[in-house]
Amino acid sequence: MRFVSRRFFFYLVAFFAAATFNFILPRMMPGDPITAMFSSGGTPLPLESLQALKETFGFIDGPLHLQYFAYIKSVFTWDLGYSIQYYPQSVNDVLNRSILWTLFLVGVSSLISFSIGSIAGIYAAWNRGGVFDTLFSPLSLVMQSMPAVIISLLFLFTFGVALDWLPTGYAYNIDLDPGWTYAYISSVFEHSLMPIITLVIVQVGGYLITIRNNMINLLGEDYIIMARAKGLSELRVMLNYGARNAILPSVTTFAMTIGVVLGGSLITEYVFNYPGLGNTLYQAIVNRDYPVIQGQLLMMTLAMLSMNFLADMAYVFLDPRLRNA
Amino acid sequence: MLSISAVTKVASRNKKASVGLSILLVYVMIALFANLITDHKPSKRVARPHQEPSMEHLMGTTRMGRDVYTQFVHGTRTSLAVGFSAGFIIMALGTVLGISAGYFGGKVDEVINFFTNIALVIPQLPLLLVLAAFLGQSSPTTIALIIGFTSWAWGARVTRAQTMSLCKKEYIQSAQLMGESKLRIIMIELLPNLASIIGANFIGSIFYTVITQATIEFLGLGDPLSVSWGTMLYNAQTTSAMHVGAWWELAVPATAIAILGMALALMNFAIDEISNPKLRTFSGLRIFNKRIALLEYEKSLTQQEARA
Repeated sequence: MRFVSRRFFFYLVAFFAAATFNFILPRMMPGDPITAMFSSGGTPLPLESLQALKETFGFIDGPLHLQYFAYIKSVFTWDLGYSIQYYPQSVNDVLNRSILWTLFLVGVSSLISFSIGSIAGIYAAWNRGGVFDTLFSPLSLVMQSMPAVIISLLFLFTFGVALDWLPTGYAYNIDLDPGWTYAYISSVFEHSLMPIITLVIVQVGGYLITIRNNMINLLGEDYIIMARAKGLSELRVMLNYGARNAILPSVTTFAMTIGVVLGGSLITEYVFNYPGLGNTLYQAIVNRDYPVIQGQLLMMTLAMLSMNFLADMAYVFLDPRLRNA
Repeated sequence: MLSISAVTKVASRNKKASVGLSILLVYVMIALFANLITDHKPSKRVARPHQEPSMEHLMGTTRMGRDVYTQFVHGTRTSLAVGFSAGFIIMALGTVLGISAGYFGGKVDEVINFFTNIALVIPQLPLLLVLAAFLGQSSPTTIALIIGFTSWAWGARVTRAQTMSLCKKEYIQSAQLMGESKLRIIMIELLPNLASIIGANFIGSIFYTVITQATIEFLGLGDPLSVSWGTMLYNAQTTSAMHVGAWWELAVPATAIAILGMALALMNFAIDEISNPKLRTFSGLRIFNKRIALLEYEKSLTQQEARA
């Protein structure tokens, strides 16, 4: 269990470092948003009111180390202040509204990609040079090199605008009341179809290629020849001897790509006007909503850290050698 | 190190490498001779808005009446310049940090590895968007710099791992025992054996930069006056080219990015195959492999018999 505690300690330190970075970032930039917001308005605001406004949004003046302690405290109590753009809503309110949509997009698309990519990769490696392999391995390479911007624009144009088959904005038909009704759920499904397919295309090629390459490297190992020599069925050798070990490195890939997927989700949400975290971050950036930006970065970092920690745990479960390390 | 003749030798042997390299060369030519193959400046209004592709305007015109072909050619120049320069920064940082961590070990490794791991868990694109927004209407140079200096972690990690495994090899240890200087070991013994990883890092980083630049500019966080594939996408989107049916305005930059991506991916795949022959997909080779496996199996059987 030393492995687990060591990893946990690293992620704690990493979170601390990321939070510190998050603290420094807006302070490196010229000016603060409150002053910027009200100086562009025309009538200058009295100094006291400006000061009061700054305090409300957490831009306290004073020595940097005091600011830092106040900030760290607010991070660990998850009190992220108020949104400038949606005042008087708090940052937590704004994030809570969008996090579920992003979890939905990222979660579903990752699971689909991982499953399809793994199965196809194992099959391609097992029948290397066969029809499936020669066709789909280069194809997945092409898909992997397609950025989310291009794919989502292509889908938006083809199925959203030209053919007009699928809705092009928001997560569900806003005339419907959210609830466990058929109309609402089918509306959510329809609206999520294009974003999810976009994210699957972005991810699936990577899994296929990684698993295929791992598996090909493994198939030359002695224990595979041994398993065959014992007369085990092809399916058993393929799944229990080959695939089980080939999938192992992909678990790390799964966690590492979560950052890429979050980025892909950001752009996809923007193109399809989907009300997830990415779109919220984009709106916050455009409107200089610093508290929301900070909260977002912090939360995305936390999501990546926890995914990586979970992947480490999964690794311990899948690779017995690590349990005593 | 990789020389031009080595590159052509590799490319002529591997079909994927030669296709990828040829496409990349075409792009480089377009970028280098941008002024020779276009008639006017990319920002000049030359026709009525949203003209369909015709003989006069090969790729149509934009909402502002600018020639899409001219914009594509000059955009290629910007996008490639940003891609290559940021790719070079990423490769250089990743190589220096990776080799230092892997070769020197100890405290150096601990510090570098710590920062690498932190950089790996901070979400890239959101961070870049925030940086681009804070710096305000980022020019292509700014974008190249922020991408270059925030994206080195992957390369550093991979290079470090490979360096560490090379350092365990006998030839490195014997070089150390013979008292060769550290610089010589790194330059003469390590670098050539890291070439495929460094090359893959460079190619991957160029591609990553081109996509990321396009994404940043598409979201309107770049300098709208510069001409690149990203600003072409941005202008097409803001003038709702899609909804008025001016598909060419979006299709040209999108296809340009996709084809460049394909070319670079092919090259990377080829590097993988060259450094790891097992991954090749020739059907002829497969039979060959089976025969070798069979021969080795028979050989091991006879050895066992001999031992018994």
